[in-house]
Amino acid sequence: MRAFKLVALAIAALLVSVVLRAAAQTTVPEQVIDIAAERFSFNPSEVRATMGTTLRIRLTSDDTMHGFRIVGANVNVAIPKRNRGTAVVTFRPEKPGRYTFECSRLCGAGHSFMRGTLVVTEPEPGQ
Amino acid sequence: MDFHFTKPDRLPAELDFHRFVLLFAHQFSDRIRFVGELELEHAFVEGLEDAGELELEQAYVDFLLTRAFNVRAGMVLMPMGIINERHEPPVFYGVERPLVDTVILPTTWFEVGAGVFGEVGRGLRYRAYVTSPLNALEFSAGEGLREGRQRGNRTNIQKPAVTGRVEYVRVRGLTAGAGFWAGESGFAFQPRFDVPVRVWEADARFARGRFEARAEIAGVHITEAGTLNDAVARLTGLNPNVAERLRGAYAEGAYRLFSSRRIGDVAAFVRYENADTQNRMPAGYVPLKAFDRDLWAFGATYWPDPDVAIKVDYVRERNRSQVVPAPRSFNIGLGWWF
Repeated sequence: MRAFKLVALAIAALLVSVVLRAAAQTTVPEQVIDIAAERFSFNPSEVRATMGTTLRIRLTSDDTMHGFRIVGANVNVAIPKRNRGTAVVTFRPEKPGRYTFECSRLCGAGHSFMRGTLVVTEPEPGQ
Repeated sequence: MDFHFTKPDRLPAELDFHRFVLLFAHQFSDRIRFVGELELEHAFVEGLEDAGELELEQAYVDFLLTRAFNVRAGMVLMPMGIINERHEPPVFYGVERPLVDTVILPTTWFEVGAGVFGEVGRGLRYRAYVTSPLNALEFSAGEGLREGRQRGNRTNIQKPAVTGRVEYVRVRGLTAGAGFWAGESGFAFQPRFDVPVRVWEADARFARGRFEARAEIAGVHITEAGTLNDAVARLTGLNPNVAERLRGAYAEGAYRLFSSRRIGDVAAFVRYENADTQNRMPAGYVPLKAFDRDLWAFGATYWPDPDVAIKVDYVRERNRSQVVPAPRSFNIGLGWWF
């Protein structure tokens, strides 16, 4: 009987954790953003997101290796060269505002033109 | 960096280490940063340009303020055309740069100056600089403005030039832009007289899947070309026969025949160009027809790595002259970047 109670308790705990995890997943929406890098621009160079959303940013290059850094955030990854795959980074903005992203690897004469903006807005009422 | 094998018709073959470029940068802070580019041309410098050139093509500090408004000062590239600001060998087709980007827009065109740049949203970005002007004393019939670049060397800045560009980059694969340059270039003459020079261009490049295309059109207007020619003739004994209007355009198509992560990419290209540095002459001057040039370039590029390009092309040039033959050449180039 004691063993039965322990097994039942374990199953109940498992069920609760599954339900909690599922609930957590439904309350944290994810937004997938594809950004292509090319000497010397990001496309798109302006991205919009809602606060509270987890951003899954997929980065590819049309030429050389670039970098992707969000200024003021702990995000800085290398974007592989053309045909060498995709860099994926997740970022969850903590507050609304305009975040600048830029190429963090010197990629040629116009490197410093490679900048973009991530605009994070408050969620609409009812969202 | 790139070096070339060139075999023009009826001339000996040549092997030239054309460009060795060192690019470096430093970030003082998130908002203040430096970019520099030092280029050695033709591998050797002995004091005369034919032997080689050591050029400081870029050395500027950016003050990043907002997305739409930033300040730049130092040695800057003129924002003109496809090639001038984007001249790494793996990013353009052909062993040599297009003729229009050589004799109409004098790439690599850089001067000392300061200005602003930014992106105003919806994929529109701009740059505008005030820089040192061109020196009209060095203009020529065949190479247009090219030798008139002051290149940051104790430049005369009494009447600064202005230049700018607007660019649209919102659609993936498409970059379309237009640039202008305007300045007074007669400062080398005594007594000084004004030689107003206006340069304009429009360009676009597009890449989608395996297909790539580029086109550019450019023009130069030299208002006092007749007075300029007379003044240079009095000063040097040689009349440069500089035109009132120079004009050029090209269109290029390319197709990636092969694309593999392991072996690399292969693309074939074809380009047609017309560059006429004697397009309209001042009163009393006759155009030199050898400088109204058409050019077909065919070739291929193999990238074993996206930053290494092995190029082969055949260039067939024609001109309107009955006397001066136009060169044809077979070229091989190796360019790389890291």
